[in-house]
Amino acid sequence: MNRGPFIFLGIFLIVATSWTFVLFETNQGIGNLSAVLDEDLGKYVPIKTVGAAAHGKEVYQELGCIACHTQQVRVASGMDIARGWGDRQSVARDYIYDKRSLIGNVRIGPDLSNVGARQLDRNWHLLHFYNPQINSQGTNMPPYPFLYEVREVVGEASGNALDLPEEFSPGEGLEVIPTRKAESLASYMLSLKVNYDLKEAPKSNETMAEELAVALENAQ
Amino acid sequence: MTLIGNICSSLFPNLSGDSKNREGVRGIDASICFPLLALIISAFVWLIVATVVGFIASIKMHSPGFLADHSFLTYGKVAPIFWNSLVYGWLFNAGLACAVFLLSRLGGNNVGLGAFLTISITLWNTGVTAGIIGIMWGEQLPFQWLEFPAFAAPILFLAFLGIGTWSLLTFRARIHRSSYASQWWIIASIFSFAWIYTAAQVMLVGTPAQGAIQKLVNSWYVENVFGLFIAPLAFATLYYLLPKTLGTAVVGYKYSSWAFWSWFLFASFSGIADLANGPIPAWVSSLGVIATFGLLIPTTTMSIQFLSSLFSCFSVIWDSATARYLFVGCITFLLVMYHKIFGVLRGSLDITQFSLYDSGVTQLALFGFAGMTFTGAIYFILPRLLNKELPSTSLIDLQFWSHLMGLILVSIGLISGGTQQGELMNGSTAEALVVVKTMQSSFYLTTIGMVFFIIGAVASGATYIGIMLSTRIQEENETSLVKEAPELEYNAS
Repeated sequence: MNRGPFIFLGIFLIVATSWTFVLFETNQGIGNLSAVLDEDLGKYVPIKTVGAAAHGKEVYQELGCIACHTQQVRVASGMDIARGWGDRQSVARDYIYDKRSLIGNVRIGPDLSNVGARQLDRNWHLLHFYNPQINSQGTNMPPYPFLYEVREVVGEASGNALDLPEEFSPGEGLEVIPTRKAESLASYMLSLKVNYDLKEAPKSNETMAEELAVALENAQ
Repeated sequence: MTLIGNICSSLFPNLSGDSKNREGVRGIDASICFPLLALIISAFVWLIVATVVGFIASIKMHSPGFLADHSFLTYGKVAPIFWNSLVYGWLFNAGLACAVFLLSRLGGNNVGLGAFLTISITLWNTGVTAGIIGIMWGEQLPFQWLEFPAFAAPILFLAFLGIGTWSLLTFRARIHRSSYASQWWIIASIFSFAWIYTAAQVMLVGTPAQGAIQKLVNSWYVENVFGLFIAPLAFATLYYLLPKTLGTAVVGYKYSSWAFWSWFLFASFSGIADLANGPIPAWVSSLGVIATFGLLIPTTTMSIQFLSSLFSCFSVIWDSATARYLFVGCITFLLVMYHKIFGVLRGSLDITQFSLYDSGVTQLALFGFAGMTFTGAIYFILPRLLNKELPSTSLIDLQFWSHLMGLILVSIGLISGGTQQGELMNGSTAEALVVVKTMQSSFYLTTIGMVFFIIGAVASGATYIGIMLSTRIQEENETSLVKEAPELEYNAS
């Protein structure tokens, strides 16, 4: 054990083996997936995030939402399905368009991979970002007042001003207008839904039973 | 005037009269004095940054309205700033300080190149600062421990290359052909970090892999930063300082190479175990679980080595500031490995996945195992480097106890609180709001723990300043205060 080159070679081999087996091999296996045609939807899935939602995705990244929210649904463990966070396992193909992966690994808040299917109201999201206590009282999610502009009402109130409850209102004669960032973030939330099936994605037993029941009913 | 004289004598200790028998060592120490001081001072500054930011982040967990009006202080930015300043600021600087000191002392040779090393260190800290400003600015990447914006990576890489080159040259220039365990650990850790950092940057930022693979690369990287860089530097420090402070050889030293190779082999595969049930093939996490269990081998070997050495001279532990820290470091190492190894079992992972449990274990590893070991080492290094006595043991006591208190509170808060959270999140359909409510007491514990960490950090800063400003007394020139144990490392093969 006295020779430097021996240590170097050994460590090089170990790290290289780890890299090859763990990263390179997996990347060969599931790292070059492409979109597939979903016959029910008549589109290629997954669907790319575009427009305001794509800008909202950047805002999500910039504000570090990933520190508390994941975007992955598990079937084999946990209660993700029972909680209504999704109806099938998230698989590698779901993420092929993510330039920066937002899968995450901490859940202080709920999983968001299907939030666009759960909470369809755009205003709910806009109020939620302004101050989460408005519609989720007791949460420890921080408010994001800096995504909004508070300004004086001149003449008639603006159409896009938040409809705030009394106790959250900034004051008489003032209105709260979402900035472009807040609007985009809301668009991104609404775009988050996994409404297509992939044949490699396992479903929970309950979901499969439901689907089977529907299919049987149709057949009759 | 005296003050200036004292500072000068700290910066240029070789100018003051020192006893002859230490001339050789003094020459070596003098050549690395500037870079080492740079590392120790940067480590201290980053520790203050990390603990204050960690304090803010922990308050936000129970009082979300706290400092919420400023976009650069939102929780999603403060949390990564905390982790990055902790890892790349405090632990990298403190760990590299130990590495630089150990390599020079064990090499027994003066390679010089102090200016080159100082420039690299400055560059490294510039990179970390730039990265943290980038996160506040809103440029963060969504990768754990790699949140620094893309522009910080080349700076950090170049700086690390500089530090690595210096270490390699110092290792090559050693006067004894034989090498000691500490040297293997240091050389291997520096080489590994360059490897994993490059691999992660290329696969995440340079030519990004597809989404699910990015998650895999990230997990692999994070666990390897601890397993292949921070932990090895702490082991290196323990192998060197235990004999030095206890005055006895490491018990069972001949098994060190066994521990060394098995640790690197298994640690390099262990980080992927917690990806179970995710979008990554199951065999990947199974491989991770097997490797994590393999870590039992080096963990047992080293625990026996370190703890037997400590217990064989138990009375000495409380007499020496450094030995106390090393003792706590070793104990925490055992606790951390217990959680890491048994935490990947299917039963526990199903409960703790996505909870704050992981964060608790990581903080136990960073503040406890690595942090305690490096802090103890700095209390060993600094007086020898400047050839001055530690000015006040009560300040060191204060730091030791508050750091330990903080460690206990934060890890209990996050590990037990995280388990509770996991049970509710993964084992029931309780509303997220209910989960948050049950976590309240844990969040408060974390905040109190962070206050203790800040007190500890300030006390350590006061000690460093105290050493720098203290007057060299006659006795120190004669030097009875720095009693070297027999040059154990040269005899050991």
